[in-house]
Amino acid sequence: MLGVAVWSGWAPAQAQTRGATDPGVRGGAPGAGGPLPGLSQDEVNFFNAAADVFQEDENVAAGLGPRFNLDSCSGCHFHPAAGGSSPAVNPQVKVATANGARNVVPSFIKANGPVREARFVRNPNGTPDGGVHALFVITGRADAPGCNIQQPNFAAAVAANNVIFRIPTPTFGLGLVEAVPDSGLRASLAANGAQKRSLGISGDFNVTGNDGTITRFGWKAQNKSLLIFSGEAYNVEMGVTNEAFPNEREDNPNCQFNNLPESTTRLVNTTNSASPASDFSSDIVNFTAFMRMLAPPTPASATPATAQAPAAATTQVASATNTSVLGTAAGTSSTSPAATTATTTRGQQVFSNIGCQNCHAVSLTTGKSAMTGQSNVTFHPYSDFAVHAMGNGLADGVTQGNANGSEFRSAPLWGVGQRIFFLHDGRTNDLKDAIQAHASTGSEANSVIHNFNLLSTSDQQALLNFLRSL
Amino acid sequence: MVRRLLYVCAATCVVGCIMGALVWRYGAAVSFRGIVTSAAANPQDGKVARGSYTSDYFGLSYRLPPGWTVAEEGPGPSSSAYYVLTTVIPEGEPNATILIAAQDMFFVGEEAGSLADQARDLQQGFANIAGMTIDREAAEMKVADRPFYRVDYSGVGLYRAMMITEIRCHVFSFNVTARDPELLNRLVQALDSDLSFATAGDAASASPPCVKDYAAGDNVLHKVSPVPVGPRFVPIPVRMIVNADGGVRHVHVIRATDEQRRSIEDALYRWKLKPYQVDGRASAVETGLVLRFKPDN
Repeated sequence: MLGVAVWSGWAPAQAQTRGATDPGVRGGAPGAGGPLPGLSQDEVNFFNAAADVFQEDENVAAGLGPRFNLDSCSGCHFHPAAGGSSPAVNPQVKVATANGARNVVPSFIKANGPVREARFVRNPNGTPDGGVHALFVITGRADAPGCNIQQPNFAAAVAANNVIFRIPTPTFGLGLVEAVPDSGLRASLAANGAQKRSLGISGDFNVTGNDGTITRFGWKAQNKSLLIFSGEAYNVEMGVTNEAFPNEREDNPNCQFNNLPESTTRLVNTTNSASPASDFSSDIVNFTAFMRMLAPPTPASATPATAQAPAAATTQVASATNTSVLGTAAGTSSTSPAATTATTTRGQQVFSNIGCQNCHAVSLTTGKSAMTGQSNVTFHPYSDFAVHAMGNGLADGVTQGNANGSEFRSAPLWGVGQRIFFLHDGRTNDLKDAIQAHASTGSEANSVIHNFNLLSTSDQQALLNFLRSL
Repeated sequence: MVRRLLYVCAATCVVGCIMGALVWRYGAAVSFRGIVTSAAANPQDGKVARGSYTSDYFGLSYRLPPGWTVAEEGPGPSSSAYYVLTTVIPEGEPNATILIAAQDMFFVGEEAGSLADQARDLQQGFANIAGMTIDREAAEMKVADRPFYRVDYSGVGLYRAMMITEIRCHVFSFNVTARDPELLNRLVQALDSDLSFATAGDAASASPPCVKDYAAGDNVLHKVSPVPVGPRFVPIPVRMIVNADGGVRHVHVIRATDEQRRSIEDALYRWKLKPYQVDGRASAVETGLVLRFKPDN
């Protein structure tokens, strides 16, 4: 809280002399990492046990490799707490040579930079690639004798301008996101249509080709569910085959050390934690349980109820008459009201007046949820979970589902106050730069950024302060 | 002299025949600005050149304020057939912007209602935003002799006006934002002299009537289904112009992948529709439909 007081105190003075500036990462205790309020004791036990699995380091015997980006979930999803995004110190530098490995750290991986995965835009024959090319191999590790595969030629890919990057998406609150019915998301996107059309904003949902329902996880909303997200990341980022993705991506016979899939449902309980559900479940089910029950970030101020005053207020009342309204975790008006400052209140007005909320939609409401106490919960992700054209400046040339090379999901802004790196590739740690990067040829956000640039310096500063309060 | 006159007459006939053939086959015509163009131009084809934004599809020309230029181009058409046509800004220090956009009313999710209804909805939406003030209630006004609705609103030091009119079943809008209300008013008032529309005598004004959902049900006499390609379940909005004889003159696949576009065009140009009737006479008609490919199984 002290950190909040400090940055919100000096910011306006900075604004007067040097223009608006990003106050920087909000200090203090992590406002995230715990379970959703209202869960049953069994669910909390499952969450706690699953959190341990989420934070395990894997070795080759446990399924790591043959190609991988890191050796644990929480290594990437670390800041400000397990489940978050990239930490300040990049663990990929250390893992490159862990246990005898001889990997060369690619030029785009820095000790003080973001955790990154690399995707190649095109295949050598010019056809679209878009897939993840893992940074490292297990060659040389003491637990991988005989494996002698090589890393991809990243230097050549960089020289050919054929590589793009993605940083870890925070996973806080995603169980609530998963529990929003498609109709709720579609209603949110359709709301305020006239305002959106006055600003050049449209957007659409990515959908699964299997059943046509909305996909909502990942930078391009390419993943349907937290289980799919877990299974895909376990295989692609760590090389661990699992019940959702049972085949190795690298099948060099000299680098196969385990039966597949490497993580399966356990038939015998050898762990005996407080949660038999966790003990019997495969790793990806544990990861899913952890993320599904992980509470949203706690903002520094109580803000959302007044962003779209009438609509939000109505929703809150409606929710309160049902099961629950998420309190401290989701940042309703009951959350730490003392932390609200004049500048963040003004910043919230700026946020809605210039049009940010047309994509970074403030509130959503869950439908009926299998999790205890999570039905009809209104929460504040600051995202519509739709994909929007973001212009040439952010385009990565990778198509996923029906999100094309310049389209990205509206990044949820909850927790942005404690985020270190911004945008899909982590190109900046300056929130103001991230805002400006929304404008370029072909972006739906151009008019909103024009509005931002027309603001007074003090109002730009208020917006930055508000965002850092989330 | 007589021979020269004959040459001129012959050349004129040849050019006339070619033009006639183009009009018959492709709908090509001389636009209201004297440019040979296609009457089947699409909404996104408008461009800024020599200080003016010109759209043959919408039949209008807008002379930019002195010293203004094009900002970044906007995104392509959306899946709801919304078009960011252009954005213009002053050169140098930014103090205002004008976004020109259009929404195809065939493809909005909700029932659109009249232009007046839409202006009122717009006003209500802005009024719901905390800190936003409605400075001028939605009201009809004439701009360049055409009916528009205007709503003015302001907040956080930005003064804005939205001007909307209907053209070919699109809501066409000028969205003006300025740092001060006087500049806003000057920019809006200048529209009256800087904006011009195709008149009855211009070829570009001769667009066919637009009718929602005409290419459906019994109106379709012969239908060819597009081969399903590309992403499934994604709505693909399509505008088409049907000749008076029921043949398809023009297909505009508004948003799709290239392979989907080819597949849809291949199919729809082979459709045959019941001729649209105006006052008992067959007429060309412009309409729209939404396609959505499903999995093969």
